[in-house]
Amino acid sequence: MSATTRTGLWCVALVLGAAIIAFPLYVNGYYLALGISILYFTILATAWAMFSGPTRYISLATVAFFGIGAYTAAVLGETWPWPAVLLAAAAIGALVAGITGLSTLRLSGIYFVIFSFGLAELIRQLVIWYEVNIHKSVGRYLFSAVTQDVLYWQLLGLAALVFLTGFLLGRSRYGLALRAIGADETAASHSGIDATRIKLAIFVVSAVFMSVTGAVMAPRWTYIDPSIAFNPMISFQVVIMALLGGAGSLFGPVLGVIPLVLLFEVLTATLPNHFSIVLGAIFVMIVMLLPRGVIGLIGPVQRKAPASDAVAAKPSTREQSGQLLRVDDVGKSFGGLRAVDQVSFEVTRGQIVGIIGPNGSGKTTLLNMLSGALVPSGGSIRFGGVMIGGVKPHRIARLGLARTFQLVRVMADLTVAENVAAAALFRSAAAGGGETTVELLDLVGLGKMQDIPAGDLTYIDQKRLELARALALSPQLVLLDEWLAGLNPSELETGIALIAKLRDRGTTIIMVEHVMDAIRALCSHCIVMNAGSVIARGAPDAVLSDPTVITAYLGEADA
Amino acid sequence: MLLFDIALPGLVLGGMYALIALGLTLQYGVARIMNLSYGESLVAAAFGALSLYTGLGLSPLMALLLAVPCAVLINWLLYRFLLERLMRRGKDRGAQEIDSILVTFGVLFVIQGIMLIAFGGQYYSYSYLSIPVVVLGTTLAVNRLVALLFAAAIGIAVYLALTRTRVGTAVRAVAVDANAARLVGIDVAAMSGLTFAFGGGLVAIGGVLISMFLTFNASMGVIFTMKALVVVIMGGVGNVLGALVAGLMLGVVETAVARLVDPGLTLAATYALFLGVLLIKPTGLFGRAAS
Repeated sequence: MSATTRTGLWCVALVLGAAIIAFPLYVNGYYLALGISILYFTILATAWAMFSGPTRYISLATVAFFGIGAYTAAVLGETWPWPAVLLAAAAIGALVAGITGLSTLRLSGIYFVIFSFGLAELIRQLVIWYEVNIHKSVGRYLFSAVTQDVLYWQLLGLAALVFLTGFLLGRSRYGLALRAIGADETAASHSGIDATRIKLAIFVVSAVFMSVTGAVMAPRWTYIDPSIAFNPMISFQVVIMALLGGAGSLFGPVLGVIPLVLLFEVLTATLPNHFSIVLGAIFVMIVMLLPRGVIGLIGPVQRKAPASDAVAAKPSTREQSGQLLRVDDVGKSFGGLRAVDQVSFEVTRGQIVGIIGPNGSGKTTLLNMLSGALVPSGGSIRFGGVMIGGVKPHRIARLGLARTFQLVRVMADLTVAENVAAAALFRSAAAGGGETTVELLDLVGLGKMQDIPAGDLTYIDQKRLELARALALSPQLVLLDEWLAGLNPSELETGIALIAKLRDRGTTIIMVEHVMDAIRALCSHCIVMNAGSVIARGAPDAVLSDPTVITAYLGEADA
Repeated sequence: MLLFDIALPGLVLGGMYALIALGLTLQYGVARIMNLSYGESLVAAAFGALSLYTGLGLSPLMALLLAVPCAVLINWLLYRFLLERLMRRGKDRGAQEIDSILVTFGVLFVIQGIMLIAFGGQYYSYSYLSIPVVVLGTTLAVNRLVALLFAAAIGIAVYLALTRTRVGTAVRAVAVDANAARLVGIDVAAMSGLTFAFGGGLVAIGGVLISMFLTFNASMGVIFTMKALVVVIMGGVGNVLGALVAGLMLGVVETAVARLVDPGLTLAATYALFLGVLLIKPTGLFGRAAS
């Protein structure tokens, strides 16, 4: 782009900005009202997409927060100074979002949709009940000195703020973390991302914007009752607009807001009786024809992975020796089934320990306890001197204990590079810089595939990606859960060589594996499990010729 | 006696909830389509019964014979031409669920709009079998008892059809894992379409029966959708008996709150109960553990 075109663009942007800011000064009341509608839906839809876009939690609670804001303004508006009213609305919205978010964000899919809708209805019912029984009248009048012009400018300021927040969020590591959570929450947690806290924080931020919008909009009605403030149509409209525009990007929702607000306006004016039929038909068409929204038509948005790549490359050098992991009498019961029973072992630094045993012997359950996916029923796990039994997965990951999954889990919608970058977001400072994303991908042989969505990779490449993601945590210990399963003989060879390379770099490894050639080639020490207990341990060759082990795998010899 | 005054009307009300939830159990629980236009279909069936009764003097129980085949056909067409495409497009169950929510949300407005044009916004009701009977000292209307009996009979019939027949087993297989069902030679698309269509038929039964004793208007569908959802999710998705129990429970709780606390809080009580159940057992009272 040449300097002159850039100056030209800046000029156009400046003129446009000035026109938007000065809008109330040169238009009549009708267009001003239209401008206000566009602005407030822009804020609501952008705030909605901030949380629901990346996580794909379809929230129908927009109007709950909007209504809370509007009611706060109606109750406090005449006695408190206006800025204090807005702050109060923000605070109450944040409080309600915090309480509900804390308890509900573990629901997913349809349950969250219905819950959020139920929440809005519950709050509306409670407000109605309160107004009828305590306040003794359902509606409230709000006489305020705020003119339409001022209201417009307040909304404009708020819109600028919501875009700024969205922009900063997208560039921060929390933006990528949120998308990682949306793609695969389990994989994200095991990559060191505190899924609960990040979801909650962004849910609260989004709710605060909605509440303040409600408060700012309140003076527009002068009379407010719960059916105006908590009109469920608002939640639905916001969802349609954000989806039409494209909820996956910052400026997507506004592309849906503008045409739809104008369309609603035209429809109510010309076809008041057929409004909902046309609305419904348009909505069906949007879903059928534009699954990724208007912005999806423009082409895939190139996102820059956040800064972690810029960290100076520094190969991890750890020359420490001694004990890294110590497991004492760890057990896990599911109901009456003891899946893992009093297992104890130690792993020293730089070792590759194999865990083998027939299917159902408790190997994966054991790994799940080490990585925090399951809370042990008893016993202790000490990792580098820290007790990690029952600690949350993201904390364990940040301590430098990474894992891959038996059933491969990549964040399908993120690119290969983003998958790895997501795991590097929250690695501990103590782990040092570690390798860059590019180096890690080269290491596992995915160097040329950085920008491909991880979901498009073949099964084997997804396994490679999982390993790169685990290594991005700069781990001291990597748990490989049947990482070699399903590879063909030549891939197996490369796979074994890769694990050997990791050991030579000083990474400690625990591998659950059925490929005995790999166990023989790689492991210095081996643990055999059967029916939840350790039945043998020692060097692979010795262990594999142990009669108890053979019996566990093949059953009793025929008499 | 206060206990009977709460329990009997509560059970009758609950029977109605179970009735309106049965169709959704099939459509959502089995065909995996979260049909947000569910309540509108129900109200449409109620309007159908009303028109037949006031126009032709046809009793609602006769109207069932006409309404159910129509509803089955319409729902099958809906599945065939809109939903099936979404089911094929969705990468996973989550994406399919969200797409089906969104598209049926559009359908909701279309149905509602048509009803608003045809009937306007006012409330309708008609009187059929509204004869009071006294049961254990509590006065109940015959039409509500009829609805309760229908709910029980249909619930049991659907349960038996799902558990005792070949097609029912195939349908349950699709509900558990569509991909695995395909591998054992089940035509998943056909089964889902069939289930969705029959779910639609049950909606029509619910709508017709409800029209006998409830006052309704063109824009109250969403209330039924919510009630049905609450019942289905509380009972455990896809669990017919669970839906029956949850429906009865909800009816009793609402009646108790209305009687003992404040009639203005019944809806709040519904949602509070629902949200509570979701938080403690996210898969419903009788639901399987989440995978």
